[in-house]
This record gives sequence, C-alpha cells and structure tokens, in this order.
Amino acid sequence: MKFAHIADCHVGGWRDPKLKNLTIDAFDKAIDQSIEKQVDFILISGDLFNSSIPDVSLLKRVVKKLKHVNKKQIPVYIIAGSHDFSPSGKTMLDVLEEAGLCINVVKGEVVENKLRLKFTVDEKTGAKITGMIGKKGMLEKKFYENLDTKNLEQEAGFKIFMFHSALTELKPKELEKMDSSPVSYLPKGFNYYAGGHVHIVKDVSLEGYKNIVYPGPVFPNNFSELEKLEKGGFFFYEDGKTSFNPIQVKNVFSLRINANNKTPEQINQEIIDEIKNKEFIDTIVLLRILGKLETGKTTDIDFKRIYSMLYNKSAFFVMKNTYSLKTKEFDDIKIMHSEIDEIEDTLIDEQANGENIESWDLKKEKSMIRQLMTSFNLDKKEGEKVYEYQERILKEAAKLLDIEL
Amino acid sequence: MEIKGLVISGKFGEIIIREKAGEKIELGELLIAENKTSKILLQVYDLLFGSQISQSNLELISGMRLEENTSMKFMDKNLRNYNLAMLKNILTLTKNNSYSSKSLPDFFSKVREVTKKDLKFITKPKNPVYIGNLRSGSKTLDVKIYLPSAKVFSHHVSLTAATGRGKSNLASVLLWDMIKKNHTGILVLDPHDEYYGRHSLGLKDHPNKKNLIYYSSNNPPAGTRTLKINIKSIRPGHFNGVYEFSTAQKEAINSYYRRFKENWVEAVIKERDLGVNFHEGTISVIKRRLLSLLDLDFFDEKIYYKGVFDKNSGETTIKDICNELESGRVVVVDTSNFPGAQELLIGSLITTQVFHRYKHYKNKGDLLEKPVISILLEEAPRVLGKEVLESGPNIFSTIAREGRKFRVGLCAITQLPSLIPRQILANINTKIIMGIEMSAERQAIIDSAAQDLSSDSRAIASLDKGEAIITSNFTKFAMPVKIPLFSEYVKKDIEKKNKENLNFSGIKF
Repeated sequence: MKFAHIADCHVGGWRDPKLKNLTIDAFDKAIDQSIEKQVDFILISGDLFNSSIPDVSLLKRVVKKLKHVNKKQIPVYIIAGSHDFSPSGKTMLDVLEEAGLCINVVKGEVVENKLRLKFTVDEKTGAKITGMIGKKGMLEKKFYENLDTKNLEQEAGFKIFMFHSALTELKPKELEKMDSSPVSYLPKGFNYYAGGHVHIVKDVSLEGYKNIVYPGPVFPNNFSELEKLEKGGFFFYEDGKTSFNPIQVKNVFSLRINANNKTPEQINQEIIDEIKNKEFIDTIVLLRILGKLETGKTTDIDFKRIYSMLYNKSAFFVMKNTYSLKTKEFDDIKIMHSEIDEIEDTLIDEQANGENIESWDLKKEKSMIRQLMTSFNLDKKEGEKVYEYQERILKEAAKLLDIEL
Repeated sequence: MEIKGLVISGKFGEIIIREKAGEKIELGELLIAENKTSKILLQVYDLLFGSQISQSNLELISGMRLEENTSMKFMDKNLRNYNLAMLKNILTLTKNNSYSSKSLPDFFSKVREVTKKDLKFITKPKNPVYIGNLRSGSKTLDVKIYLPSAKVFSHHVSLTAATGRGKSNLASVLLWDMIKKNHTGILVLDPHDEYYGRHSLGLKDHPNKKNLIYYSSNNPPAGTRTLKINIKSIRPGHFNGVYEFSTAQKEAINSYYRRFKENWVEAVIKERDLGVNFHEGTISVIKRRLLSLLDLDFFDEKIYYKGVFDKNSGETTIKDICNELESGRVVVVDTSNFPGAQELLIGSLITTQVFHRYKHYKNKGDLLEKPVISILLEEAPRVLGKEVLESGPNIFSTIAREGRKFRVGLCAITQLPSLIPRQILANINTKIIMGIEMSAERQAIIDSAAQDLSSDSRAIASLDKGEAIITSNFTKFAMPVKIPLFSEYVKKDIEKKNKENLNFSGIKF
C-alpha cells in the first residue's frame, strides 16, 4: 500500500498575491509528486483552503488539479480543518465532494449519545479511513469526549485515522500555549494517524498509537514558519515505511539582525554588507530585526533602499519583521489583552496621568479620553457628505470638551 | 441544656470534673463551662474512676462479688462511684469574641455539651478548603471545618496516620474540594494510582473534570494525557537528593551539561568527547546509571527511548503541568509504573520548574496574582527524610524551608513523621493527625504542633478511622474533625451533574 499524506495547504493563505500563488503552486507540486510516485490514494488532513469559501481563481486551480488526479483514478480523502470548516455548513469542501473530486471521511451516527464514526473503505487497497474534523479553538474536543472509540478499535484491517488537532504530548516547545488534546482521545490500534493543524514535521509512535504523523504545511504560512521551515512538504507511506517529501517552490534567505546598541545607520550598513555580494534569484528574503535601537526610530532604517537592492538582485519577494524592534525614544507599552476594548483601556490607564489638562483630574481625563474615542468612532451616515461628516464629528467633540468652535 | 458534669478541682489546663450519672463523657469531647459573662470551651483529654469508698473497701467488695457470688450493692450508687474527666482549656467565648483561655471556670460550675451556637466563631474563610465536620469525642457535629486554602497550602500541610486510618480518603476529599473550587493548584505525585479512580469511584467522576489533569504512562484513559517527558528537559540539578552520584560523577555530569547543554544526556550515552579528562570508569558508570534510570537502550550507536523519557515527545509536558497548576487545577501524575528513583526524578523535574517560575514571578512582582501551588507527596520521608537530606538538600527540602515566601507549599503524607527532621516538621504549619499507634511518631508530631498537644497523646492514639485532629496556625484551636467518607461526600455533586446537549455539527450523518 502506498499513499500520500498532505495537510495544511492553506490555499489562499498569504495576503500578498505573489505569496498567495505559492500556496497553490506547492499544492500542485504535492499532487504531481504523488501521481508520479503512483500512490493508491491521497489524504488531505484539513485546511486545504485558508477559508471555507476561497477565492474563485484559487478554487479553479484546485479543482483543475483534483480533476487531474481524479482522472488518474487516485482517490483523495479529506477532512475539514479549522480554517475550511464552516459551522453553517457552507464550505467549498462540500462542493468539491458533490462534484466527486474528493471524499470527506468524517461520517458517522449518534448511538446512545455517543458519536460513532464510520469507515470509508478505499476500493483498491481496502484501507479503512475515518477521521475527525478540526474546529477553531479546539471545539472538536467535545466530539472526542463523546466519541465511541470501541467500535473503531474493534474493526479489523488496515486503518487510518485523519485528524486536525494539536496533540498535547507532541506539541513543540514554541507552541506551548496552543490549545491541544491528549493523544488518548484518538482511537488506539490504527496503522496510521494522519495529522494536520500543527505546522511541524513529526513522525512519532507512542504506546498504542503507531505512526502519528504531522507533515507540516505544503508551503510555510507566515514569516516565522518561512524562517523555521524554509519549505513545506508532505509524507509518503509505503508498506509500513514513512518518509518526508519536501516541496521547494522558492529559495528562502533569512537575515536576523540584532539591533541592540546600534544606530539605524549601522543596521543599514550591516544589512547591505550581508547582501551586497550575494544573488537572490527566485528567493524569498526575510529580514528580522530585533532588539533596542541606541538612537533614532525604526522608520530611520532605510528599508526602501534595501528592498530596492534585493529586488535588483532578482529576489522573488522581500519581507521584514520589526515586531521585536524597540527604540529608546519611546517607552514600551505592555499589552496583555486581546480584545480591542481591553487594549484601549490598558493604553488609557497607562498613558493618562491626570496632569495633561489643568482642570482635569485623573478620573476625568480617563473618562474624557474614552468619550472622545467613542465620538471619533462614529460612522459616516448614508448619503452624508464628507465635509458634513467631519463637521458632525467636530461638533460632537466640541460639545464633549465644552468649547466653542 | 443537658448537664454532663461539675467542675470539682484541678488547675489550669488540668481541670477535673465529675461526670453526671448516666452521661458518657468521651475522650476528645468538647464541653462548655458557663460563667456569668463568658463561656469556656474545654476538651476532655483523660478519663478516670472516682469513688467515695476507700480502695481497700472497693477491693473487698469486688472480691466478695467474684469469689462469694454475693450481690452486695451500695446505697446511692450514683453518689458513691462515678467517673472523673480531665479537661484542658481551649478558648474563652464571649458574645462577640473568642480568645485563648487565661482563667479557670468557676468552682462547681456546670459543664454541658457544646452546641452549634457556641461554635459560631468558627467561620468560613476566603478561598476555603473543606476538611470535615467538627467532632466532639465520637460525635460528629453539624459544623463544617474550612481552612483558608492559600495560607494553609503555602505554609505546608502534613497528613499523618498509620495504615488504614483514612489518609487516602482524606486526600481524596481534599482534592475533590479543590477541583470544585479551582483556586489552588495541586500537584499530586501518586505512586499508587489511587486518586484518579481508573476502575472505581475517584476524581475522574468530578462534575468539574476540566479542573483535573491526569498524566499516566500506563494506558491512559481517553481524555487523559500520556506522561512523556522530553529528555532535553533534564538538568543535572534534578538529581539532587533524589539519586545519588559520587562527587567525581557529579563533576563529569556538570561538565557534560556545560559543554552540550540540553543534549547532555545523549552526549554522555554516546560518550561524546568532552575535551576534559575524566576516568573512563566514571563515564561508564554514569552512562550505565542513566540508561537504567531513564529507561533507555543503546546499541548500534542509537538510543532507544523505552519509557517516559523521550526524544520526540513531551517537549511541553513540564510547562503544561506548570500552566495547569497556575490555573488552579489539580494535576495528578500516576507514578505507579516507575521505580522509586525515577518517580522522584519526575517529581523533582516538575517541582523545580514550578518553584523557579514562582521565584521569577516574585522578582517581577506578579506573585500575588498567582494561585498558591501545593505539591502532594506520598511517603514524604523518601525525599524529606533525615537520611536523604544528609547527602544534601533537594528541591522538596528547599520548598519546605522557603516555599511559603513564593506561594509554593508541600502537602506531605506519611506514617513516619519521626523520620523527617525537626526543622522541616516545624515548618509545616498545618498538621492533620489521624490515628497513630507508635508513640515515637505521635511524639514527633506533638513536639512540632502549632498548638499545645502535650496532653493529647492518648487522644491521638485512640483516633478511629476517619477521625482527625487539625493543628494549625490558622485554626483557633487544635480541632477534632470527622472526615467524611469519600464515596458519601461526592454523591451529591455527582447527582447534580448536568447532562449535556450534544451537537455534532460538521459531521455527516
């Protein structure tokens, strides 16, 4: 038996069109290599698309490729992942299945308040495939809690379980905070556990669980992943043996600059020194600058010039990450919240000091900031002209501040 | 109010009362002597006979009954023969206050049973932990005893009892309560796998099961975690006090760690070049001992990870456990599958990380936002015993000494408190004492108790199954309690458990 295990294609995942296209290029390559390897079937363990309703242009390319593999009589078995699952049921995966281009293996029934999954049997090999969808925020945990594993475990034959969840015991250090479920939720005794969701390459066996495999994405999905993985890939299974098959769509060059005690000019020079003698043909260049600048602002680093140099050297795409770059000219603001309201409240609490306006105490200052922010947030009314809108906002603010315009 | 006796003599702390005929005063019973303005709470610590007839006459009469079969009776039997009870002062109770007794009850004052109204000074603290109901002798009163969780657990707790007196039952009740309340993180190193309740009633049946995290390396039930610890998590310091290496071996281990950092175990086993000369034998011994302790195999230059320590999994296990504890959850680690040294090493790994994190929070000024964490240790002398500590401190003794400053405490379970050094015992502020027959063990606890238990040795020896005395800086007196039977205690909670409406949206039916 020979099959390919792909996951986390995230087709349409990048904002930039150039990178967005790379996700589909990587998917195409994975399918082509699987056909070339003459696999019996292909598994896609969730997040084929980056959203449940993807762009038509991307969808078209996926459909084309699936039709191609369909013609070769290689079945594609899929499950929905946290990105392409839709609670309303409106997901493109259903359309693809209706069109006969893939088979969703997450099928079951409820027996005595327990979820009993059914197997989909691969006609050619007799492999019995089932699996569980992945949902955002690990909501599939409830499904696992109520999963009848007995009938799955008792089934004889070559069995594959597809899943799209992080497993607690296999999380890498850097994903410590990721929501996860224990391995023990999976039914025991399967021959292969085709995982997705966690963008790592891992092939592990634990007691009762043989071949728990995460192939990682077919193409890295963000800046950090590009830095760490450089390329995507997928797994082949052939008669008991597993192997990782990398997919290289572009070269990746990472440059990490420590900005501590340096000026923007020094950083400019350091980057230029690093790149001046290199060629970047068909290469994604990643610039990560971190630390605290001795003087100046982050905007003083001449990225325009650096980008221009790199593109002149045939770079495919240049990206920078200055998230951890600080400057001494501004104090750090610690933000621990994720909700906008909470972030605003934190910022107001940190910045207000009751001394900015003579007649305002701290309490009034905070209250006025909040009220002003609310008034500035008013939407433009339908049919309202821009100048009318501006006037209305100004009037609101003047009223609050008790001043005449 | 039923009168049980009259104060007749004695001195402070040794008050003698005469028992009223027909009453049955018990050892450990709580009684009230009422004065005009206050009441004194007393406790019985000894019982003896009293008689108006001389000893020689009593002996004569008993002889006649035994040998001559006569049925000679005394006139006014109740007046001539009686029981005496020795009482100690516990507290003086006024209308709105209670404080340590400093005076005697009135001569001939009546002594009666304690009532719930007398005990209204026993209140429920903030973030309470339920231990049991107050007990007066063998009678259980309708007064629930709660301890302030944060204070009690950060200042260490001991559970002392002989086998079969209900230590595990008490620990289960305590943990059940903690799972319900979710305000204290408790790490349970469970060498008998008895708390989760794999095959019987246990913590797994809790309605707030999400607050219970269970790790096992032995076929973990669905929803629980496989105990896997990444080999890279091990540091040389984790062996301190839990596994003995010679000085030369320690030096070699430290050199490997300095050179190879987190990959040091692999480097030792593969005998990688250290650049420093150590005796070949030393490295071989370390290698052999690590292979055995960590359950590894090595052949054809390849390491095979057979047990809990692994190369490919468990990277976040220790951090996950710390995070769960910091969320006020109960984490039970089933260590029943491991030999003693491995069990202690795992305990040391987790505990070290917990302690270091909390030290870090203290430095950052965030400590007070964190819940107290307690580490429940069975057979505590294995890590806190005098013999073990002779070869140097370990993380558990460090926590015993300075943990309370960092909101990390120990909950030490033992039958043999005398094996624990006096300083450590004295640092344990709350002691829950159950029946102990061996006088040396009783004495060790009495000598280090928060309240004066010098007259309670007999009461401790006679404690029945489920009966306990709590001595603590956080209770007003050494409280006699009756611990509920776990199966009875949890019944109501389990019955209350709501049935969920399941929705399997996304699955094709």
